[in-house]
Amino acid sequence: MAMAALRREGRRFAVPLISPLRSSLAPSEYETMEQAVSGARSISTQIVRNRMKSVRNIQKITKAMKMVAASKLRAIQTRAEKSRGLWQPFTALLGDTPSVDVKKNVIVTVSSDKGLCGGINSTSVKISRGLYKVNSGPEKESKYVILGEKAKAQLVRDSKKDIQLIITEWQKNPLNYTQVAVLADDILKNVEYDALRIVFNKFQSVVSFLPTTTTVLSPEVVEREAEAGGKLGELDSYEIEGGETKSEVLQNLTEFQFSCVMFNAVLENACSEQGARMSAMDSSSRNAGDMLDRLTLTYNRTRQASITTELIEIISGASALQG
Amino acid sequence: MASNAAVPFWRSAGMTYITYSNLCANLVRQCLKEPYKSEALNREKVHFSVSQWVDGKPQKPSN
Repeated sequence: MAMAALRREGRRFAVPLISPLRSSLAPSEYETMEQAVSGARSISTQIVRNRMKSVRNIQKITKAMKMVAASKLRAIQTRAEKSRGLWQPFTALLGDTPSVDVKKNVIVTVSSDKGLCGGINSTSVKISRGLYKVNSGPEKESKYVILGEKAKAQLVRDSKKDIQLIITEWQKNPLNYTQVAVLADDILKNVEYDALRIVFNKFQSVVSFLPTTTTVLSPEVVEREAEAGGKLGELDSYEIEGGETKSEVLQNLTEFQFSCVMFNAVLENACSEQGARMSAMDSSSRNAGDMLDRLTLTYNRTRQASITTELIEIISGASALQG
Repeated sequence: MASNAAVPFWRSAGMTYITYSNLCANLVRQCLKEPYKSEALNREKVHFSVSQWVDGKPQKPSN
């Protein structure tokens, strides 16, 4: 079976004009089409050997990438978990209001600059699109702010008109608060918003990430919601020190909240990225191993078959001379 | 006191609270002694590129 496959492969390269259709076959389909090839005797195993070599090289690369991702993940995981303490007080104070209904929505999509990390970027893009749909309507407008190359590539295709700001190359240096704060500042200065919705992948474990949105309201909306009561209504029970008015305090608070939430989002997303890359690379090196096993089997069988054929020829030739 | 004015002095200078707090943080960092000072300042590198999009077209990127 495998021999026939190899024979055909050898022939395919030698006489490509005879069977141009076969060149488009996937390896698994070789085995279903068993035909004896007439006139083919000794088979070149060169192609299989080359293929094996390239598969082995790819496996080495994916293994190395997995190692790199694992070590990066460990470093960033502790930071991400620590940074959760930054937004938790804000949620305790202001509550999380993902369902708030406002006119100007800004969706901040956090993604990575590099690929090869499974589906985390597509998930956050998908969630962003969903948010866009949920929040669109008459007299409302939604805009995208995109962090990272990958979400940019996906969103540019169909939502060009709604992109307001694209920020890339922010992962060149190790992430730090100063950088994220400057970034958040740039976003705040360049967009008009009633609610900022940040979409990112929250790190759960190495193999699971939760697509998450966090909502940051503008001070005016916070005041409006506070009048309506609910969690935000409790804001009035706080005493404000100094000569600042409530709206000033709220504005400062929102800005600071945004930068903190962004910091956490960026870290969580980077953490999920490394985790996803790790598991993606793990499965691809396993696949490469499987492929290599199959190829080795085929290769050895063919070699053995050709040896047997040669032996038979020699022996029958010798016995013909004797007889 | 500046905070008694209608708006704080840094906001009338066009800063957001983030910029202001960053500036303050930077000042505190500069109060460190060597070698901690350069270490702390080295940690806080800022690099990214921003491009504004208007009507589906990127404007000139700025840094």
